[in-house]
Amino acid sequence: MAERLIQLQNIHKQYGDKTVLENLNLYVKDKEFVTLLGPSGCGKTTTLRIIGGFESPDSGTVLFEGNDITDVPPHQRQVNTVFQRYALFPHLNVYDNIAFGLRIAKMPEEEIRERVTEMLQMINLTGYEKSPITKLSGGEQQRVAIARALVNHPRVLLLDEPLSALDLKLRKEMQRELKAIQQRVGITFVFVTHDQEEALTMSDTVVVLNKGRIQQIGSPTDIYNEPKNAFVADFIGESNILDGIMLEDKKVRFSGHTFDCVDGGFGRKEPVDVVVRPEDVDIVPREKGMLKGTITSVTFMGVHYEIIVDINGFKWMIQTTDFAPEGAEIGLYIEPDAIHIMKKSEYSGLYGDYSLDIDPEALDFDEEEDQDGAESEQAE
Amino acid sequence: MKRASKIYTALVMVFLFAPIAILLLFSFNESKSLSVFAGFSLKWYQELFRDGDTLESVKNTLILACSASAIATVMGTAASVGINKLRNKYVRASYDTVTNIPMTNPDIITGISLMLMFVFIGTRLGRSSSLSFWTLLISHVTFCLPYVILQVLPKLRQMDPSLPEAAMDLGCTPMQAFFKAVLPEIMPGIVTGMIMAFTMSLDDFVISYFTQGSGFQTLPIRIYGMTKKTVTPKMYALSTIIFFVILTLLLISNLTDEDGGKGSRRKAADAERARRARRILVPAAATVIIGLMVVLIVTGSGRTLTLNVYNWGEYISDGSEGSLDTIAEFEKWYEETYGVPVKVNYDTFASNEDMFAKLSGGAVAYDVVIPSDYTIARMLENDMLLPLNYSNIPNFQYIGEDFRNLYYDPENQYTVPYTYGIVGVIYNANVVDEADVGGWDLMWNEKYAGSILTFNNSRDAFGTAMYKLGLDVNTTDRAVWDRAAQELLAQKPILYGQVMDEIYNTMAAGEAAVATYYAGDYFTMVDSQADHVDLQFYYPERTNYFVDAMCIPTCCQNQELAEIFINFMLSREVAIANAEYIYYACPNSLVVEDEEYIEDMGEEAMEILYPEMESFREAYNTYAYRNLDPDTLGYISSLWEEIKIN
Repeated sequence: MAERLIQLQNIHKQYGDKTVLENLNLYVKDKEFVTLLGPSGCGKTTTLRIIGGFESPDSGTVLFEGNDITDVPPHQRQVNTVFQRYALFPHLNVYDNIAFGLRIAKMPEEEIRERVTEMLQMINLTGYEKSPITKLSGGEQQRVAIARALVNHPRVLLLDEPLSALDLKLRKEMQRELKAIQQRVGITFVFVTHDQEEALTMSDTVVVLNKGRIQQIGSPTDIYNEPKNAFVADFIGESNILDGIMLEDKKVRFSGHTFDCVDGGFGRKEPVDVVVRPEDVDIVPREKGMLKGTITSVTFMGVHYEIIVDINGFKWMIQTTDFAPEGAEIGLYIEPDAIHIMKKSEYSGLYGDYSLDIDPEALDFDEEEDQDGAESEQAE
Repeated sequence: MKRASKIYTALVMVFLFAPIAILLLFSFNESKSLSVFAGFSLKWYQELFRDGDTLESVKNTLILACSASAIATVMGTAASVGINKLRNKYVRASYDTVTNIPMTNPDIITGISLMLMFVFIGTRLGRSSSLSFWTLLISHVTFCLPYVILQVLPKLRQMDPSLPEAAMDLGCTPMQAFFKAVLPEIMPGIVTGMIMAFTMSLDDFVISYFTQGSGFQTLPIRIYGMTKKTVTPKMYALSTIIFFVILTLLLISNLTDEDGGKGSRRKAADAERARRARRILVPAAATVIIGLMVVLIVTGSGRTLTLNVYNWGEYISDGSEGSLDTIAEFEKWYEETYGVPVKVNYDTFASNEDMFAKLSGGAVAYDVVIPSDYTIARMLENDMLLPLNYSNIPNFQYIGEDFRNLYYDPENQYTVPYTYGIVGVIYNANVVDEADVGGWDLMWNEKYAGSILTFNNSRDAFGTAMYKLGLDVNTTDRAVWDRAAQELLAQKPILYGQVMDEIYNTMAAGEAAVATYYAGDYFTMVDSQADHVDLQFYYPERTNYFVDAMCIPTCCQNQELAEIFINFMLSREVAIANAEYIYYACPNSLVVEDEEYIEDMGEEAMEILYPEMESFREAYNTYAYRNLDPDTLGYISSLWEEIKIN
């Protein structure tokens, strides 16, 4: 069991009438970088706080190396946390903040100095020992918070959206740095974020949560390429999600066309959700297309164009480096292995049509029917 | 606009600080006058520091303020942490409101309700007196608490709620997390709250007045007692010192409050300075509090005997302006004579009725009280007095024959006369025509409408009307009282006011021209009269004779000590000092036959205080107030209320 460092079993948590976590089962392996990913209110922070000991589940157990720690208070757990707003002690300077945990543990000052100095080196803040916390930048505070947790040599580091307060560039930098730190110190990281890109770049394992339930657990590539349902497909990256019918193994029909695909194992004529990633669709001349439609909008995104194509009223998103003008009649071509088939779920029909996803600024120039649709759906 | 706001600011400053500037100036005045600055002098400060009772009350106030604010700070901080943890916002809002009630509640209601509760609980527990230092302390903690919560709670709300979690995450127990992570964050609020609580406690009068027991007098109450008659410049000195102490505290509290919450916007140096100030201030405050507690315990346990005396305000020689400090003298003499230290707690009351209400409620316990004749009769009727053991009071022999066995104590078993007097009329000769002077009619003379003062207590006020009309002041005939009430109603439109001890300043300043009061007090007024005022005095033909006597109430804890004190009060030197200080006539032959006393008082005073008469006893028996049956008393007070309202 040593591999399963932390295990959550049948966790249930409720605040008043609101169910926050419902029958949650999860394990975290030693030295793994696990990310809890989901929109706000999905229960990811609560899960983290249950691991940290700040919340106790209404039912279910938390195991640490196979031992039940459900009722163990936070200060007796071998985990440390990096809080969302860092929660550094404003009345202490950088050095004293980092040394805080070691002093509580009554470590000799000599050893504390050694460890803190080492940490300061690791986070590149040597020389900042005496600086008051309030004088540091956001990124520096972030690094101090990480050092303050890591200096205690925890078995697990919990990170609660630690990068959300940083600007984009700094966030990217810290993502790399965090990953590097995790590999250097070789301990388990449990990371909470609502940013799917962050989750994909940093994690060994991603746990996608929504409404208190786990939607999917898997490696970033699994999650991206083989989403289990329309929620995951939509939440991780961009997806065109269509209603389809599985005619037989490796044959699926949607948008009025029958496609070859690589998935099987469904019942004959079983209704399914079909996912096609925008970058997997090629624009071809109308007559060569499997599907035919009209381009309704083109947006330049730097590396590629984002093109919205209307096919029988369903708006596809296509990402391509080839330019095609608005209003052009075009055809679409899709490779069999670009088609991913999912079982129908409660999320079917909720996501994946880009007629809903119109840039509000463009609304004025758009036709009125689009506008109505956009407004009512964006209000969510 | 700019100029208008400047003028406004200037006006505010003037009205705020001009009175204090004047106070400050006159505290250094060589003379006693309020109009002339006679030169710089520290003599009032010196006198203040020689006044043992005032210094004692300063000590009391500090002990009380320190302990009350310390307790309130600890409790308030704990309460804030609790309130802040409440998740339900309605519950939290109601807690907020409830804790704020004592702050918005009028002090007088807080005071009365606390007193009621203490007395109720005290009598349930069978205590002879329910009010003590501890009830005072509880009351002060009660009204200080909201101020602490008001300061601490916002600091807790501003604080990142994950700070204590971070501390626990790093290995702190919840207790350690509070002390290491939360406390430093909310410390500015705690310090400010404590200082506010301290200043609130320091200057509270109303609540203390209701909840203090005998023997622990706070400064505001002492000042109130002292200023009843004339305000001595000693009080200016004291007020000046208090003002500067409070000012310093406020400055410190502002300094500490500047930090916290705005750390990032402040210059680091500022924050550092504030932090350093806090670091010094907190241990300093703690040291002072602990020190004072130690003083309290040591002095408290060191005393073996206590004597609680309850007397009229300004009715004893207290050491001011070179007079004899009777109380200090007694403490010294007793310890020298008996080898046991004694502590006298000396409290004052403003009227017989007040004293009677406080004593009969069982709220306080005293060993010696000094009421007036008709109240003594009332107390005896209510079994509130103990018979005296006159063998402990050998000096009783010097009490004149005329003053023994008077109606209120026919066998003379309960009382020892202290002073006596006659009610007379005082007028400003610069305003009043000599032709109008002579009888009670002057008090009803429309020529002086708007500048006539009469008593603000029913018995004395009715007395003036009844003597004027030749009625019996002790009748139970309601028709007679109705007649007197009509007379008083007729007088009402031409009155300046109905007053008691406020009379001193009003008459001395020349604001009113005609008044009636007790003979001896006339001289106190003359002593402080303004330059344009010339006060004169006469007795109307029929007027009130009264005796105030020392007696021992049933709640007395040490009768022998009380009797020794009474005897001491009758001894030559002390009795003379008191008679000279109070200016009332003295029934003690050691005094009235003393050459030096006669000389000190002067011819005019002797004539007024001791007018020639055939027999004091006869005049007294004719004109003194008797205690009346409760029915009649009730009827009089309802008439009196009617007069006051109309």
